[in-house]
Amino acid sequence: MADAITKSGYTAHDEKITARSSLFYRPQAKTGLMSWLTTVDHKRIGFLYGVFALFFFLVGGVEALLIRIQLAVPNNNFLSAQQYNEMFTMHATTMIFLAIMPLSAAFFNFIMPLQIGARDVAFPRLNAFSLWVFLAGAIIVNLGWFLHDGAPNGGWFGYTPLTTRAFSPNHAIDMWVMGLQLLGVASIAASLNFITTIINMRAPGLTMMRLPVFTWMTLITAFLIVLSFPAITIALVELMMDRSFSTNFFEVSNGGMPILWTHLFWVFGHPEVYILILPGMGIISEILPTFSRKPLFGYPIVVFSGACIGFLGFGVWSHHMFTTGMGTVATAAFAMTTMAIAVPTGVKIFNWIGTIWGGHISMRTPMMFALGFIWLFMFGGFSGIMHSAAPADAQQHNSYFVVAHFHYVLIGGSLFALLAGIHYWFPLMFGRKVSEFWGKLSFWVIFIGFNTTFFPMHFLGLNGMPRRTFTYDPNMGWNNSNFIATIGAFILGVGVTIYFAVMVYTYFKGERVKNDPWDGRTLEWSLPNPVPEYNYRVIPVVHARDAFWYEKQHKEEIAAEHAKLEKAESAHGGIHMPFQSIYPFIASLGILIGGVGVATIDSNPDPKVIVGKKLTVCLIGLGIFLYGVYCWALEGNEGYHLHLDGHDSSDTKH
Amino acid sequence: MSSVASGAIDHHHDSTTSTGISNKKLLMWIFLASDCMFFGCLISTHLIYRLHPPVGTPPASSIFSIELTSFSTFILLMSSLMMALAVNAIQKGNLKSMRASLVLTIICGLIFLGCQVFEFSEFVHVKHLTISNSILGTTFFTLTGTHGIHVLIGVIWLTTMLIYSYTGRLSEKDAIDVESMGLYWHFVDIVWIVIFTVVYLLEYI
Amino acid sequence: MRLHKFLHNSFTNIRSLGAVASLALLSGCSWQSLLGLDGKQSTFITEGPVARTQLDLFYVTCYVTFAIFVIVASILAYATIKFKARTPAEESAIPPEEGHGNPLIEVGLIAASVFALVIIAVPTLKGIWYTYDVPVEEKANAYEITATGYQWWFKFEYLNEQVPGAGVLTTGNELVVPAGRPIHVNLRSMDVMHSFWIPKLAGKVDMIPNRGNLLWFKADKPGYFWGQCAEFCGDSHALMRFRVIALSPRDFNDWLDQQSKSYRVVASTGSGLGKAQFASLRSFKENEPGVSGDFEVSPLDAWKAKQFPEKNENPELITRGMHLFSEKTCNTCHMIRGYAGAVGVAGPELTHVGSRTTIAGGNLDNNAEQLQRWIHNPGAVKPGNKMWVNGYLLNNIKLTSEDEVALVAFLQSLK
Repeated sequence: MADAITKSGYTAHDEKITARSSLFYRPQAKTGLMSWLTTVDHKRIGFLYGVFALFFFLVGGVEALLIRIQLAVPNNNFLSAQQYNEMFTMHATTMIFLAIMPLSAAFFNFIMPLQIGARDVAFPRLNAFSLWVFLAGAIIVNLGWFLHDGAPNGGWFGYTPLTTRAFSPNHAIDMWVMGLQLLGVASIAASLNFITTIINMRAPGLTMMRLPVFTWMTLITAFLIVLSFPAITIALVELMMDRSFSTNFFEVSNGGMPILWTHLFWVFGHPEVYILILPGMGIISEILPTFSRKPLFGYPIVVFSGACIGFLGFGVWSHHMFTTGMGTVATAAFAMTTMAIAVPTGVKIFNWIGTIWGGHISMRTPMMFALGFIWLFMFGGFSGIMHSAAPADAQQHNSYFVVAHFHYVLIGGSLFALLAGIHYWFPLMFGRKVSEFWGKLSFWVIFIGFNTTFFPMHFLGLNGMPRRTFTYDPNMGWNNSNFIATIGAFILGVGVTIYFAVMVYTYFKGERVKNDPWDGRTLEWSLPNPVPEYNYRVIPVVHARDAFWYEKQHKEEIAAEHAKLEKAESAHGGIHMPFQSIYPFIASLGILIGGVGVATIDSNPDPKVIVGKKLTVCLIGLGIFLYGVYCWALEGNEGYHLHLDGHDSSDTKH
Repeated sequence: MSSVASGAIDHHHDSTTSTGISNKKLLMWIFLASDCMFFGCLISTHLIYRLHPPVGTPPASSIFSIELTSFSTFILLMSSLMMALAVNAIQKGNLKSMRASLVLTIICGLIFLGCQVFEFSEFVHVKHLTISNSILGTTFFTLTGTHGIHVLIGVIWLTTMLIYSYTGRLSEKDAIDVESMGLYWHFVDIVWIVIFTVVYLLEYI
Repeated sequence: MRLHKFLHNSFTNIRSLGAVASLALLSGCSWQSLLGLDGKQSTFITEGPVARTQLDLFYVTCYVTFAIFVIVASILAYATIKFKARTPAEESAIPPEEGHGNPLIEVGLIAASVFALVIIAVPTLKGIWYTYDVPVEEKANAYEITATGYQWWFKFEYLNEQVPGAGVLTTGNELVVPAGRPIHVNLRSMDVMHSFWIPKLAGKVDMIPNRGNLLWFKADKPGYFWGQCAEFCGDSHALMRFRVIALSPRDFNDWLDQQSKSYRVVASTGSGLGKAQFASLRSFKENEPGVSGDFEVSPLDAWKAKQFPEKNENPELITRGMHLFSEKTCNTCHMIRGYAGAVGVAGPELTHVGSRTTIAGGNLDNNAEQLQRWIHNPGAVKPGNKMWVNGYLLNNIKLTSEDEVALVAFLQSLK
């Protein structure tokens, strides 16, 4: 990537801005470790998000396989009860917060600014800060594997009072609480940035109703993050206060009500479901038109239904709590809103079918994954409708039926879409293309493995097997389905291994492709691959919804316009680029140290020592954080200007 | 239009963005929306536990001192006025007037914080309401404490700005920074009005 | 080695599945058993009106979604096959139609989906009100019980049955109820969240600390049912199981009479411990199943057999076990009505533990071997349980084989 960007064939010379002399060291490295730690380039940050996400995806996958081995046969003792509970807690936490969300963030970062014709996000250094805080949170959540206290084992939902000090006395839960809070900070900071970017940095002519659907879904997802993460953050703060300062939020003996945690958690938790799926829907809405060679069917309705899902997503949280005895009226109300949210979701599926109807479908790997997405997501949607019938849900809730349902929407939905997206944008990111044979092979193995694993779980659940159980007796009638599911999980594992092995191979040795290999429709495909650091030589003017498609059909008109714009731009002083900065990384490092101090060190210091070990570490972390933040503020958002020499147009289409 | 008065700089339209709203201001607005949810959750927690008090909880009105809190509320409201004057002053390029308003804002903020520190220590030492001995103490101290931290961050931020205005880092072209800060300050003030109403006044109805 | 066992097991399972299937076909058996969906906690086999309402609603959702699935999936499949580009030329050609959508189709589809949802919504609303609480017309006939969740067992209190001097009648892990009467269960929790689930009788409702929940069910006829905790509640959540035994009204009254008595004293005959065998316990594999087939064929009869004293009781051994019960401080946590000093409430009440079919939270058959396995090392059966952590480990309780056998004999005598 570093090489790809530096060697992407632009020749440029830069001029320092001397308007404000800076006392601060501004790193200039374009290659090497330093260039990555100090980068503010949204593409590099996106790439790093992707790398970290895929790493944690593999970790979460291994955890899943261990879970399946334990459940392959009844009364297995491959894992102990404690280990199994750690495993499913960390599998969920990892997959949700450390794999799918950052993988979506990788696309938000890499693709969204390109799609709106911007040169970067609104706040490049804040963007870097989000990345590094995410990493700090990820490290703290996973720290328990290497410590005596073990990994968090309270479930990804962390229901109180099981997670309070009385029932989980060691630091495992502290790490989970701290890590999740940091991941929340990272997500909110990144989302503030994305919203500002999308609203404020669109290319001229790119009205909101011309935005590519992926960008729209980014915007809606970002709003969901900004508005829903506070709920879990406050819940975690309350739990942390309970654990550290003996407050009474969830302390039953002093009047605390654990049901409050459930509500706060799901007020976040349900929008979170849409945070996971909406980016996937956006990606699918890009891929289907490209490979059907038709515009998206019913664009306004797709956008509106996305917004509708986001909005309704805040009004359905209690369908995770149908069994908590909310009373008839509340249960009925949430059952109805849950059914209502099926309508905009269904509308999207209709429109995707409408998109391929009458098109010329070219069955490439991204399209295969996209079609696989529609099939599996539809299936997950149907079992979702079954849950909305609250009395029926009383049987399904917390059984394997639910496990089947949400894996259909999260793997079959989100993950298939993200895998499709990786295939789709790989040529743009790295200038190489994945072999069709290996791509399709991995698709079929994943597809078959996935269904073998999760389809039998519907029946397991309806046959009465509860979730989160580390063992079961042989006479319960669950043996066959469990064994099949385990075989399926290993097929799925093989499929994912093929997929990523092929990706890594392609990154180094894959077939090189020219620009715009898929005959794309949106602006990002107008860029050379790999994309240069400044993205657009000239900020384009958008004339239609599928902006690049329009450009390709009006070549002369657009060429003339570009020439004019280019002149105007260089008269304005060339392309403004922000300086790199190390301070977001330093601030995050401080947060990491402080977080480790809060989460893992005992707080009963020797009474003679005024500043105990815990406080010392926390203060060191705080000091580094404050140093980072102040230097960040003081160094200012300066940058330099690039002047592109009149080189040949081999790297750009214009 | 202040842009007419100040001449060159248009403080109400940023031509480099699609909407004409500057990025900083937009970021602040969205952050405040998020912060609304933070306070929303804390206030809900307080109100829920207010409706379900454990047996033996003393009435909150026997603990609160409404006179002191009314006074500090008034002070915080005045600080918002000062903040508005500061924003207005820098948009007109009047640094001197801005500094005066900023100083007054900071003083108001500090008085408010002082009142809160006094209130907390009195609750703990005289009224025996601590963060861990009752659910009321838990929700009250957490909620008002979180608000207090917001005010404290605001005061530090304002002080930094005040210092910058002397070193030359803050001038008329940075009016947007002061304006964004002002949004934050007014928000913190509005949140206090909500807290004052539902935490304090509600107990006297 | 383990793999070999895996394969062997699954092969046997598949073979037995095949056998069951052909048997089912011959005897005209239900489709549930044909598909292997007739497990002990199957929601497809309903034995009461609440579970039946829930299953009927599930079928409604199945029919509706299946109808939608058939329509949407065939259109999707048709479109995928019909419009697939088959030549490179076709692939790069631009289709004639540049349609951006059709409002009429969109509105029509939205209306159709809303209609489909209404079909589900109506029985959903009916079901919510029906399953929430005992119907008004049956209220007078309802029988009230309080179930309390602990890590990791259930306590059942019979609110209408006062036992002189000992409050209400209390049992643990096995809930005996009258068949044909609505049972109103108050759900409570003393530590963390649990959930009360008897799949064949009623869907689950959570037991939440500091919150009073309720659930009702009715067993159509006498029977023996499997239940399990359905909310993650810590280490041994998977082992928090229980049973429900529904009896005919007469049997139920007999049972109540029997249970209301104080513990059964077996008088020592003074013949010494001569015949007692103190063979040490066979070693159990980690997490070895503790249930046998005893309750497979006719569980209710097996339960009934449990209500009578064992034939070969050894009174000396039982007396010794009775003394050990307080010597080893079992009595601080377990109540045995009539036994001086056995008034603990931290663990299940044991006055008539010998008459239960299972022990250790529905995990082990209630026989001498499993009982000894349980008291020998509770932590190995149910990781992290209070008897092990707060009892054995904290108080350094050591039992010899003799102690164990005597205690087992005593506990078994408590019919």
